[in-house]
Amino acid sequence: MSAFLTYLLNGLAVGCAIALVASGLVVIHRVTGVVNFAQGTFAVVAGLCVSSLLGLGIPHGVSELAAVAVAAFAGLLAGVAAIGRRDTTPLSSLIVTLGVGVLAYAVEIVLWGDQPRSAPGLAGSVTLAGARIQTQHLLVIGVTAATFVLLALFFGRTYLGKALTACASNPYAARVVGIDVRRMGLLAFALGGLLGGLAGVLVTPLRPISFDTDVTLIVNGFAAAVFGALTRPVVTLVGALLLGVAETMAAGYGYGSHQLEVALGLMIVVMIVQASRRSTLSQEVT
Amino acid sequence: MIGRVAVPVVAVVTLALPAVLDDSALAVYILLGLAAMVTVGVSLLMGYAGQVSLGQGAFYGIGAYTAALLTLGGVPPLAGLVAAPVVAAASALVVGTPLLRLRGHHLAFATLAMQLILLSVAGQLEFTGGDIGLQGIPQFGVGSWEAGGAAAYAYLTWAGLALVMLVTRNVITSRPGRALRALATSETAAASSGIPVGRYKLVVFALSAAFAGLAGGIYCYYTGYVAPGSFPVLISIQYIVMAVVGGLGTIWGAVVGATAITLLVQGLDGLATLPGMPSYAPTVLSYAVYALVLIGMVLFMPRGLVPALSRRRKSLSERV
Repeated sequence: MSAFLTYLLNGLAVGCAIALVASGLVVIHRVTGVVNFAQGTFAVVAGLCVSSLLGLGIPHGVSELAAVAVAAFAGLLAGVAAIGRRDTTPLSSLIVTLGVGVLAYAVEIVLWGDQPRSAPGLAGSVTLAGARIQTQHLLVIGVTAATFVLLALFFGRTYLGKALTACASNPYAARVVGIDVRRMGLLAFALGGLLGGLAGVLVTPLRPISFDTDVTLIVNGFAAAVFGALTRPVVTLVGALLLGVAETMAAGYGYGSHQLEVALGLMIVVMIVQASRRSTLSQEVT
Repeated sequence: MIGRVAVPVVAVVTLALPAVLDDSALAVYILLGLAAMVTVGVSLLMGYAGQVSLGQGAFYGIGAYTAALLTLGGVPPLAGLVAAPVVAAASALVVGTPLLRLRGHHLAFATLAMQLILLSVAGQLEFTGGDIGLQGIPQFGVGSWEAGGAAAYAYLTWAGLALVMLVTRNVITSRPGRALRALATSETAAASSGIPVGRYKLVVFALSAAFAGLAGGIYCYYTGYVAPGSFPVLISIQYIVMAVVGGLGTIWGAVVGATAITLLVQGLDGLATLPGMPSYAPTVLSYAVYALVLIGMVLFMPRGLVPALSRRRKSLSERV
């Protein structure tokens, strides 16, 4: 029983990290219609940054904030490449973000080499109802919960957040009332970078990160975001938690080598079920 | 007019090159031909049927593993080479039936997931040799003749490429080809004019998989070795880069794109291995080239090299 609880809590922490990556995808997709393939890259950049900054002796807190800021800047750059030019279709933008991700490989190898790197996080563990859980896991869960609350407040209560939502629901109408849709798109990309960076900073102490970890991150994040049809953050959070728990349980009860297949298979099934419920016409670009 | 002059010239140069190139240049020449073969399929799929596949490397891998397993099991290499595209196409039919209900970025991620699953499975199964892969694959041969040198593989590769291009040309100019172009622009409109959209998409998917499978088959005989590491996700991205560079939906564009990218990466490789360069230089440069070329082309020349050049030629001749 206590093993089950341990797996459940660890799974929730893994799911929270996935949720952060996925929420970045959702924010960008909602506002710009672009699926950002470089979303995992932001996490990798932040993770590598934090390992370097801590290595230089810069204290905790400052290093993490700086790394997240770097990731947000990377998000902004990706946004400039993906939607900076007018008349870039969402699918072209997807291919551009694919290119951004590969370009990031080159930069990351030059700066950090191709070996996995780790960073010290919160040490120690707590015992909760007989289950041992690392403090870092609790931190991940706490930060994710706070982030989702802040996101909900931002989108629901602030002028800027409402402008972003307006761009998402009808870009033409948003332009008519004087919202700069492209600037909002870039803002969404920066926000996506920030969320990805947060995930990277939190995950790096748990599992070492290398330049090509982004494929696993983006695939898991996309799988979670697909639950919410790439637009609904709360469903995405639920999807991510499910995915994290399912993967951790699979690993914990001895199917560890099939962890990736579980996640990917689940994603494909969800996508196919969703596609069969939508009409062809509604998916076509008009 | 120009096509009538260019095709024989290209054919003669292609046939003459293996005789004059040395072994290391031949290796590039063969890999270039194989990449072009896969890229023709990607270009057909993306340009005509409007579907993005980020998992074309999976079919390349399936072809390679099929040929390798059969030949190691004692089947004649020719049968192995024939089976490679057939098995790849059959698996595309099986995988494509559910997957092709998806479109756009969903399909892109689903095909990527397919390749990741395949790589992971091939790395764990006993009979595929796990992460180490299969070694000691016999040379390709027909009857008593055996392909000894690289030149033989070069001819084999380019014969395969010619076959692939011919099949593609015939498909495009036929009635189904017109139907494909129609469904790339609007599936609803195509379906309402009586085009069996689902079946056509599936057939093109299988055809592009067959091309990749054939290339994979030749690859396994040439290198004598296959492993999951030979078919990384990056290889699928590389085919997309080549197809986009050459121009989607053009047969020659795929060949031009594959040639341009391969030569560019090779040239930079030569530069990167110069004394004094850091050891990571070749990897970094090739990543950077793929990325910058892909971004640059999609943003500034979305129709690709071949259509852009032929349009310029047309406008020049009109001015004259």
